[in-house]
Amino acid sequence: MSALLEVDGVSKAFGGVKALSSCGLEVHEGKINGLIGPNGSGKTTLFNVITGYERVQEGRVVFAGREITNARPDRVFGLGIGRTFQLTRLFSRLTVLENMLVATQRAEGWLRSVVRRAGSASERRRAMELLEFVGIARLAAEPAGTLSYGQRKLLELASLLVADPSVLLLDEPAGGVNPTLIGVLADRIAELNRAGKTFLVVEHNMEFVMGLCHRVTVLDQGTALVSGAPEEVRRNPAVLDAYLGGEDSEPAAVLDERRPEPRPAAVGMGLRLRPRPAPARRDDLLELRGVYAGYGGGDILKDVSIKVPAGEITCVVGPNGAGKSTMLAAISGLLRPRQGQVSFQGELITGLPPGDVLALGIALVPQAHSLFGEMTVRENVEMGAFTVRDQALVRRRLAAVEELYPIVRERAGERAASLSGGQQRLVEFARCLMLEPKLIILDEPSMGLDPQTRAVVFEMIELMRDQGRTVLLVEQNARAGLKLSSQGIVLENGTVRLTGSGREVLEHPEIGALYLGGGVSVGLQATS
Amino acid sequence: MRRRAPALGAIGLAVAVLGLFPVVITDPTATSIAVFTVIFMVATTSWNIFSGYSGYLALGHAVFFGSGGYAVALAARDWHFKGGWDVFALLPFGGLIAALIAVPVGLVALRTRRHTFVVVTIAIFFIFQLAAFNLGFTGGTSGIFLPIASFSAATYNNPFYYVGAVILVLTVIMSWAVRRSRFGLQLLAIRDDEDRALGLGVRTRRVKLIAFVLSAFPVGMVGGLDFYFVGQVYPQFAYNPLFDVSLALMGFLGGIGTIAGPLLGALVLEALQQYFTQTFSGSGAYLIIYGALFLAVILLLPQGVIPGLAGLWRRWQTRDARAAPAPAPGALP
Repeated sequence: MSALLEVDGVSKAFGGVKALSSCGLEVHEGKINGLIGPNGSGKTTLFNVITGYERVQEGRVVFAGREITNARPDRVFGLGIGRTFQLTRLFSRLTVLENMLVATQRAEGWLRSVVRRAGSASERRRAMELLEFVGIARLAAEPAGTLSYGQRKLLELASLLVADPSVLLLDEPAGGVNPTLIGVLADRIAELNRAGKTFLVVEHNMEFVMGLCHRVTVLDQGTALVSGAPEEVRRNPAVLDAYLGGEDSEPAAVLDERRPEPRPAAVGMGLRLRPRPAPARRDDLLELRGVYAGYGGGDILKDVSIKVPAGEITCVVGPNGAGKSTMLAAISGLLRPRQGQVSFQGELITGLPPGDVLALGIALVPQAHSLFGEMTVRENVEMGAFTVRDQALVRRRLAAVEELYPIVRERAGERAASLSGGQQRLVEFARCLMLEPKLIILDEPSMGLDPQTRAVVFEMIELMRDQGRTVLLVEQNARAGLKLSSQGIVLENGTVRLTGSGREVLEHPEIGALYLGGGVSVGLQATS
Repeated sequence: MRRRAPALGAIGLAVAVLGLFPVVITDPTATSIAVFTVIFMVATTSWNIFSGYSGYLALGHAVFFGSGGYAVALAARDWHFKGGWDVFALLPFGGLIAALIAVPVGLVALRTRRHTFVVVTIAIFFIFQLAAFNLGFTGGTSGIFLPIASFSAATYNNPFYYVGAVILVLTVIMSWAVRRSRFGLQLLAIRDDEDRALGLGVRTRRVKLIAFVLSAFPVGMVGGLDFYFVGQVYPQFAYNPLFDVSLALMGFLGGIGTIAGPLLGALVLEALQQYFTQTFSGSGAYLIIYGALFLAVILLLPQGVIPGLAGLWRRWQTRDARAAPAPAPGALP
């Protein structure tokens, strides 16, 4: 068994964030190699490095004995490495057939390429055969922009095959694709593999990866954690830890290096000692009933019903692509549900525009950092109360927020972009509190943070709850998220799989299987 | 074949109109408008070969227009051309100079994308304008006179018109050949998603540069033709920012990325502009009509007239043929 493609000690940083650190990877010839890992572990960056879209500062990429480190994408493709993109990229105004012909390789001078017609008869025949192979030949004359999401994935794969590359790098081939089509895709990949093609597949659908791949590599925080046969990897406890998040570290004063004395306790622990509101039967602040929603390529959420009790933390967990962010979009008005109801404080808010939802008191802190980088920290926080006319009220709220988040005062005049990821997260929290929202929705607040910073962020979330706010939390770090939640909800594949108290969900024996494939058979509670 | 018959008919009709125009309409005002219109049809079609197909909005093609003009003027003066059909033989030389200039300009400008590219082409354009004003061999502000053509007064415009028409036919053929070639497909792929094209082995830098140089050649030729017709080349008209903008406006009006769009856009806008200038000379009222026309097209057919109408036609057809069987696979794109 030999490595056809080898990545050795590659490091890549974006600003201060290390996406890859001394990452190594072997892609074995003639095999389907899987690449998995939690969000932000560096999978796509690794693809970009191999195919020349990102340049690396250190490390080597070797393909078939030839070093291709930092080669341009067109050269990498010419050598026989084809790739697809996570969000499919096609030439949307060209027809399906024309899309297929772009990648035809021909050794000819520029003059001939200008004069001769695109696609010789044999190239067209081959393109049609490949379209037939993936099952979209009847769409050959349609503009690629009109294809459905799954068809786009198939076309992207087929368009690579035209040039007959020896290695195919597929970035989430099954992402957002319906189950039938996933089956078709898996069949096609297996068939191509039997014909001698080597694959490297990034995928979050564990059934797909575990069923298809001969060998799986797990990336975590930019480094290859383990490689091996799927079963081996599935059983490795380190892999589960990478997905569920390790045990919490103690919060440390990492976020305010200028702070005269360490006082994390003053922020978190101290206030937590206040008597909690009685846990008696509380009203549900938010309720989803039978919600179906998606982005045009079919439903991502399928019949989702949840209740978010007032004054508590509800944590939604689930593997990547389960529909967590889509659910939040459906609540906050960014995405209109196709069917079903969303109600807030007993009032229907289904399909209201985001501004109206915000005005009702639902604030969303999105997954990606959302501060205005060129504005100061103070300006960013003040933007949170942009809709409030009463300036005295804004000042009072600012003072209160500064009390909770000293960083807002200490770094008030600095550009938001100059803060670290964790600091930016806290400023985002502060900004969201300026509207005094009743429901705070946090999408992956701990993502990309180191363990200590993460602990501070979780403390701040508990503090929000302790001050009487309701928190709906989507969290990759399932252990940490569920631990502080009174309710845990597990989403998988767009449906609610488990509902229960945070602890029940956390200790459910099949939670690991959910992340690493195998599915969940027993629910804690009937979730209709 | 059935589908091609009407297209061939339309092309035949267009060529016939192009060929017979000065025979039927002999009024010198009209034929003079026709000369300018044909020149702009060439320039816009040529601009479209680069900007329309690649999606890179170039706003500096006056560099090639002016340089072609200066090249022809200087060559005619220094090589003692008499002023007749002989000067037309210099037009390919003007095109060649424009294409040569396009190489370094393209190498610099095409390092950038999108808005930056637009700004860089404008900046390079102003460098050329400034140079034309200040360099010794360009004759400064007063420019250079070309030899006066020795054609008979009654049909003075016709030789210019026919030479322009021949260049137009050749340019349209080039545009069509590029559109159906592998090279053209790569350009269109760059327009839709340059990074993905790169990832499919398209040598994007080379493809863009070749298109840029190809698109400069005919513009240089008609630059020479234009200034031979006018009789003089001087900086304000040779390197005229309005020329840059006009090509883009004409392209967008007709629909960029198509073959017929730039032709239609230039035909309508240049002919109207010349007509209005001659009719309401100096009042500037024509600009209002011009603007209104533009606004109407942008509001009603934002992709341009040709793609807009084609889209409407398609929708109307599909509604008509909903129950009809799907088109055969492999049908011509």
